[in-house]
Amino acid sequence: MDNGEPLPSYEGIAAAFAKAKAEKEKQEAQGLKPTTGDAAKANKQEEVHFKAAHGILVAFFTWIFILHALGIYLFTSGFLLTRLVLEQKSHCSVPPIDTTRSYTSGSPETGCWHPKSFEKAIVIIVDALRYDFTIPFPAEGSEKPHHFHNAVPVFYETAVNQPHNAFLLPFIADPPTTTLQRLKGLTTGTLPTFVDAGSNFAGTAIDEDNLIAQLRNASKRIVHLGDDTWHALFPGYFEPNLTRAYDSFNVWDLHTVDNGVTDHMFPLMHSSNTSKWDVIFGHYLGVDHAGHRYGPDHPAMTAKLNQMDEIFRRMIDQLDGTTLLVVMGDHGMDAKGDHGGESDDEIQAALWMYSKQKLFGRSSPAYVTPPATAKERPVAQIDLVPTLSLLLGMPIPFNNLGKPIEEAFIGAKGEDYENLAIVNRLTTAQIHRYQHEYALARGIDESTRAGSLSLWSAANDAWSSLERKKKPSRDQFRDVYSAFSAYQQETLSICRALWARFDIPRMLNGVTILVLTLIILAVYARGLEGDRSELTPALLGRGGFGTVLGCAIGFGATFALPDVPKEHVFIYAAAIGGTVGIASAFWYIRRRLASPLPNSIWGWVSVVFTLALSAGFAANSFTIWEDEILLHFLCTFGALTAISSFRQKKTSDRALGCYHSILFIVLTRVASFSRLCREEQMPYCKSTYYASATSSTSAPWQLAIPYVVALLLPIFIRGYYEGTMSYQGSAILWLGFALRFGLLLGAAYWTLDAADDGDWYPGYGEMLKTTKIVIAQIALAIALAFGYSTFNWAKPLLNIETKSTANGDTSGQIVADGGRTSITILGYANVHGSRYALLITMWCLAIALVEKPMGAGAIGIATWQVFSLLEIIDTNKLSNSSIGPVVLGLLGSYHFFKTGHQATLSSIQWETAFIPLRTIRYPWSPLLVILNTFGAQILCAVAVPALVLWKQPPKKKGLLGDVAKAVGTHILFYAVINLATTMWAGHLRRHLMLYRIFSPRFMTGALVLLVVDVFCIFVAIGGTRMSFLSVAEVFGWTS
Amino acid sequence: MATIINPQAKPRPPATPIDLLNNDTARLYTHIHPMLVLSLYAYKFRSIVEDPVPALTSTLIPLSILQIVYVAICLPPTGGSGSAAAQLEKRKPGEKKKPAPGKLESGVNGKIIPAFLSLVLSVLAATPLLTATLVLFGAPVTTHHPHTFLCAAHISLLATLPLVYVHGVDGETWREIVALLLPIDEVYGGMIGTVFGAWLGAVPIPLDWDREWQKWPVTIVTGAYIGYAVGKLVGGTLLKGRKIMFE
Repeated sequence: MDNGEPLPSYEGIAAAFAKAKAEKEKQEAQGLKPTTGDAAKANKQEEVHFKAAHGILVAFFTWIFILHALGIYLFTSGFLLTRLVLEQKSHCSVPPIDTTRSYTSGSPETGCWHPKSFEKAIVIIVDALRYDFTIPFPAEGSEKPHHFHNAVPVFYETAVNQPHNAFLLPFIADPPTTTLQRLKGLTTGTLPTFVDAGSNFAGTAIDEDNLIAQLRNASKRIVHLGDDTWHALFPGYFEPNLTRAYDSFNVWDLHTVDNGVTDHMFPLMHSSNTSKWDVIFGHYLGVDHAGHRYGPDHPAMTAKLNQMDEIFRRMIDQLDGTTLLVVMGDHGMDAKGDHGGESDDEIQAALWMYSKQKLFGRSSPAYVTPPATAKERPVAQIDLVPTLSLLLGMPIPFNNLGKPIEEAFIGAKGEDYENLAIVNRLTTAQIHRYQHEYALARGIDESTRAGSLSLWSAANDAWSSLERKKKPSRDQFRDVYSAFSAYQQETLSICRALWARFDIPRMLNGVTILVLTLIILAVYARGLEGDRSELTPALLGRGGFGTVLGCAIGFGATFALPDVPKEHVFIYAAAIGGTVGIASAFWYIRRRLASPLPNSIWGWVSVVFTLALSAGFAANSFTIWEDEILLHFLCTFGALTAISSFRQKKTSDRALGCYHSILFIVLTRVASFSRLCREEQMPYCKSTYYASATSSTSAPWQLAIPYVVALLLPIFIRGYYEGTMSYQGSAILWLGFALRFGLLLGAAYWTLDAADDGDWYPGYGEMLKTTKIVIAQIALAIALAFGYSTFNWAKPLLNIETKSTANGDTSGQIVADGGRTSITILGYANVHGSRYALLITMWCLAIALVEKPMGAGAIGIATWQVFSLLEIIDTNKLSNSSIGPVVLGLLGSYHFFKTGHQATLSSIQWETAFIPLRTIRYPWSPLLVILNTFGAQILCAVAVPALVLWKQPPKKKGLLGDVAKAVGTHILFYAVINLATTMWAGHLRRHLMLYRIFSPRFMTGALVLLVVDVFCIFVAIGGTRMSFLSVAEVFGWTS
Repeated sequence: MATIINPQAKPRPPATPIDLLNNDTARLYTHIHPMLVLSLYAYKFRSIVEDPVPALTSTLIPLSILQIVYVAICLPPTGGSGSAAAQLEKRKPGEKKKPAPGKLESGVNGKIIPAFLSLVLSVLAATPLLTATLVLFGAPVTTHHPHTFLCAAHISLLATLPLVYVHGVDGETWREIVALLLPIDEVYGGMIGTVFGAWLGAVPIPLDWDREWQKWPVTIVTGAYIGYAVGKLVGGTLLKGRKIMFE
């Protein structure tokens, strides 16, 4: 704001303009052509200089990004659990221990290690079948049953009415509760490790011993129907002409998979076809998709569960006597219908077994009624593996850790403890064999598991003493059974702890790289004097040279250190080499170094905000309540700028600063009403993001929010442009028309989506689907294709008003000698800022489309706040301070929560991949999910250069260096957060809440840092180039 | 007030820190006062935790009395001591000196009444403003209204009552107060301490310690009381006369 000041450069430039105009007028009169040789050449040179400096800046930040990625990779690969996969397989003819009761093992016809009970099996997974869906809702109490209650009673009824034919039990999943991980657990019997959680988009074949492989080895014909994840895990295992696989990721489609499974299942069960197969694996996805799309408490869920109920009643009717029917959920779902984490609702699935033979029993008559909650008598999901193996006469897969389910082996009378002892002995012996091999492969001394080994020998002793007896009693068998069981339990808990194995050196080296990068970035962003674009070439040159040298040394060191994995040595050496290189560069430019410690209250506030937030991540409560802490910090910032505005000398600065500070606070608070609570925040938090806490669709009133944004946001942004007369040229086309039209299309998309979801127009579903996808594609094209071409080709937002000098009033106007007219340059005061800020609105449009209606409101508010922040920073003269980029970091993190996200796996809105697409398409689908998840941070990252460009004179020197400084500070904020969450996750690796709280927060922090890095480099700094080139076209380059 | 006497008053004289009244009672009582305030709060703490609304309401009255007594004994009322000398000079030559009012009368007129006015002003003006601020900073919007309001009332009695007493209601002075432009003294320090203490008081709320005292607004009020005592002490001694620099 330089209203009252004497306009030093303004005058020069505008005078030049006026002169040029006068010249032109003269030339036009004389018919001459302009000739400006030397000036044009010098200008060209400056342009080349700028492009080079800009390119080096991009390269430097890319180098920082690579260091971040390397540090995160090294830490992650040591932190996320690793388990050695053993290649050994179990063999039918080689039981783990001598068989008993003169049973001859080795024949799959009678049963490999134990007599088999069933010839055939139909194993059906109802994805996300939570335990409480299957049991009746207790009538007492005032609580009303939800839509998911009492909708699929068939399991409970059969278990109670025909206890010898059926049983129903809670079926506890080992987290992570993603389908791919669960299928691994359900077929191999081993515990999952966290690394695999990320591979849900591209499953890989299981090479461990597993039930499916055992069935195939025994020449069983296996049929698969449903979810195609199975084919990624077991390629080529299934009968090709009977198997039908369906795409599993289209969560908006509730019926295609289910109808496909049902249509192909019943013909196979017909007596004429039963000879064609031995085992069928069916996988229904409708319940899971209904959960993802609507949440469990929705009529669509009731309908889906009723459909399942009817299907299983039909299956019971058609089942023959030799076939076992197993139905289970692979995991549950949380209150919104999502899953992935380890909350109770997510891990509590249901297991139901049924056969026409009266085989099943209970150890106590009271157990006939299935448990009222999943806390009572639960079985682990890995227990299915030995149970099915033994029932079907297969060997137990080598890596299995589960135990046979009691109900399936205790006999109809519920007292066959002898059989139970035998199957447990077999299973336990296999576990023992596996543990022995595992210890050998890992090079672990047997003494480390002395506790479990003593349990093993105790159980074996009890067994042999029993064998010597003539007629052992039931109780004695029961004791032996519990002895073997105890060994299995102990081994399982040891394995759980053991596979929380961390590779400490990797983690430490990863953290070291992150710390060093942080120091480099801190010095670069806050500890250099003068123009950064001048210094970056030296830094990049030496840093890059150091990295290359480090790579070479690392390559040599891999031979010297054969025990350490090659890539570990290589990465570490490269990063250290780069750091040494940059240290030498800092030494080289030492005269330009300054203390990076803050020297004003704003610097300290930035440091306190960043460090307080980082320190808070050490406590689970502060991590859970991060959204509220950010609200507190942002309001504090607003209050401080209001105070600071009162200190300003000029009344206009005071008034503007105060107004925008208060606006900033109020907007922050208004945005806080959009919440999606994580489970740990209950009961102190009420979700408002969706129609209700147990749904994932928007309420009708929420559909109005995007329309309100479309109507109001362009008007507000226009207001910020009109303050400096910058609402000119391309801004009118973009802000006045394209942005609003794009936002309206986004709003229309969500209305159509709701119509499609709620089936408002039955019969038009397909048409709605096509229309909404086309609309989304157009909106995205407006935002990015049309937006970017506007941004690239637009002239600066200026208008030159020519007036005759006759009116005498020449204030604010420039008159040149010989000119008959005076000119006023409208929009001059904010040439850079107004030009660059167009980019913010383009990304705002793209992000608003991919957020749910409530999130579009949050993004609208965020954009408004960004512009307010620009004004606050300008009126308080803070464009040089660290506070602007840090507050943008806080704002981005805050709106991450306001757009319906949390630092948990289950809050990822996978369905956004389908907004402009029908099927998964790489790389677009993951990019859309990233744009949805980190939209707020992306928007704020794009806004960073505007902080230093807003209302800066076009000829100001060193603007590019200022942009580098601001971007560096912004990345620094996220780098500190990432380092803190990384260190806390590493430090608290034995904490009870590691997987629930610290690990997801660490992953969020790491991903945010990398995403923000990329967007800062290619969108923010990249956009600066386009904007500067366009301004320089009019004003020329400053040397 | 000076501004009324001479409306287009030239550049204002630089503000000076408030000094205590120049007598031993004031110098002694200013240190007893925070102890009394903290004791009052400590005495009431248990009942405040148990049921905040009635307890906080009933604590308001003794707190107001303590604050009024404090300002009356220790502090110069607005337009008081500081400008007394100036008024003396301005008296026209030959003008008769008015008969000095009685001691009690002057005590009531000059101290008790301004103190009551300060009380009324801080309750009527500052409390609603502070309530709104608390809500903006994250206090519940739909519930706990009495809690938030009482919290704001306590903060305003602690922070603004003495300020109104010594600085009056001059707009420009209050701009300087809000802008943190005044030199620090024990009154100003008490205000800054109260606000900062209340701000810090929000920290323990999210912790999962399951303590009764973590409920709204106990920690905020506690922070305000402690902050008041600390700010008043530090402002009146260590930092007296210093100015807050933003840059």
